[in-house]
Amino acid sequence: MSALAAIHAIVVRDLARSFRQKSRIVGGLARPFMWLLLVGSGYNAISRVDGAVSYQAYVFPGVVVMSALFGGMLTAIATVYDREFGMLRLMLSSPAGIPTLLTGRAIAATAVGAFQGGVVLACAPLLVPVTATELGAAALVLVLAAAVSSVLGLLVAAPLQSIENFAGIVNVVLFPLLFLSGALYPTKQLPVWLRLVAELNPVSYAVDLMRGALGQPVEFTVARSLGALVAATAAAFVAATLLFDPERRLRRKERGRR
Amino acid sequence: MNAAESAIEAAGLGRDYGSTPALRALDLSVPRGAMVGILGPNGAGKTTAMLLLATLLAPSRGVARVFGHDTSRERAAVRRRLGLVFQEPSVDGLLTPRENLRFAAGLMGLGGAVARAAVEDALTRTGLVEQASRPARQLSGGWRRLTDIARATVHRPDLLILDEPTVGLDPEHRDRMWSLLDAERRDRGVTILFSTHYLAEAETCDRVLMLARGEVVAADAPSALMAGVGDQVVEVEGPDADLAAAALQRAATVRMSIRTERGYRLGVVGAHDGIGAVLGAAPRVTRLDVRRATLEDVYFAKTLPRDVTMPRHAPDGRST
Repeated sequence: MSALAAIHAIVVRDLARSFRQKSRIVGGLARPFMWLLLVGSGYNAISRVDGAVSYQAYVFPGVVVMSALFGGMLTAIATVYDREFGMLRLMLSSPAGIPTLLTGRAIAATAVGAFQGGVVLACAPLLVPVTATELGAAALVLVLAAAVSSVLGLLVAAPLQSIENFAGIVNVVLFPLLFLSGALYPTKQLPVWLRLVAELNPVSYAVDLMRGALGQPVEFTVARSLGALVAATAAAFVAATLLFDPERRLRRKERGRR
Repeated sequence: MNAAESAIEAAGLGRDYGSTPALRALDLSVPRGAMVGILGPNGAGKTTAMLLLATLLAPSRGVARVFGHDTSRERAAVRRRLGLVFQEPSVDGLLTPRENLRFAAGLMGLGGAVARAAVEDALTRTGLVEQASRPARQLSGGWRRLTDIARATVHRPDLLILDEPTVGLDPEHRDRMWSLLDAERRDRGVTILFSTHYLAEAETCDRVLMLARGEVVAADAPSALMAGVGDQVVEVEGPDADLAAAALQRAATVRMSIRTERGYRLGVVGAHDGIGAVLGAAPRVTRLDVRRATLEDVYFAKTLPRDVTMPRHAPDGRST
């Protein structure tokens, strides 16, 4: 009961914070539409992908996942602000325990990611042929994509000490995850080693599942994609839990000094 | 005192950072409802001691129990009875004070109507009702700090640990904060452990703990600590300050002698008999003050390394 109260408190706070930072929400919503309307329209003229669908139609599932990835991950990475401004220490001093705290934060970040991806997904009928059943399946995949993005975000935030690293993290973590996921172009034509990296990238499986849900050809089986996403989420959550333990961090720092 | 009567029991509690001992060995027994002040210069080990007792650091040695619960093995049980105020306010500027308190109540496991009632009660107690719906970032530093105190007390803890809670507060907010803490003690028997650089704040404590370089250098009631310095403190300044100090040491029992930038600060017993001798032996004394001992005198006597001149400005900003 007390764990539920703590999770509820964290979710309410994180959602309030996210939706009060209006520029962040607007920026998060603008990014996928810029890709769809500006980049998508431009590429439509020069490329046809997989069975001659338009680039805009091809990229749509990837852009939905991209919204969830950025929304979920950036909300989770914002934990580094809490560390900088003392709120994380307050949370760690509660009886709730680190797994409970991270669960609350992951749920909130998932909700933000799913909201941002959901706005894009709601526009699907305007851009691609889609049935109500496909939309329902895509919504479920979206939640899963947002969840894995959130937990990966927590894992990225765990070792960060200051917000100065924040912009660098977007370049070093988010863009590679996006570019090597098949969201924006097929990974089949990539060099072998990059294809291998793409297969290790959990976002690839979210994109593939989303493609399947929206009626496009897929690369992996549903079972493999679901298994990869669940495994990645669980592994990242356990790793984040260990990394968030302040005592463990301190011991690591001390070892580094020796 | 047995563990059931104690709020805090610590034996040989210490913590190292790498090869540096931040706190060597703290022995402490705090009865329920007591107020204990921790004093000491920066880097003395005050924050480390409080973080250890608050279960946020694991000890390198020794053991501590809070209300009978081991701080290393029963962290959740300790934390449920603990309210913490850190050096920097832990208030989310994007949320209102009411929302901050709801967040804190939830972290402590309070939900629903119980949490709402606890939050409204804390807002009323701290006088924050009028500020409760404004974003915290729009509040003054004083109101933010009071929000922090309300946050730490929202779940009605039995022990409050406060790390320099009055830093940066104007006298009005400082007074308001101490009134709140006094009420917590008076009405609910809350035990309070706090650190401060404003030494006068510690004079009303039941017990004062002084730390320096990771070691406990004094631990007693403030009156006993001040009595230990002497009946009175004599401050002499001027070119003949050395002669005056020597004369006073011959004429009275000197328990404390601190070199200041312009002379000496001496804690003496039976000083009245010696004052005439001082003036006779040292005509070029430009200032001679006789006053009662304060915690500041004890602080400098206990925490200054030998052969170090006392700084011109005392911790609470008073010129020496």
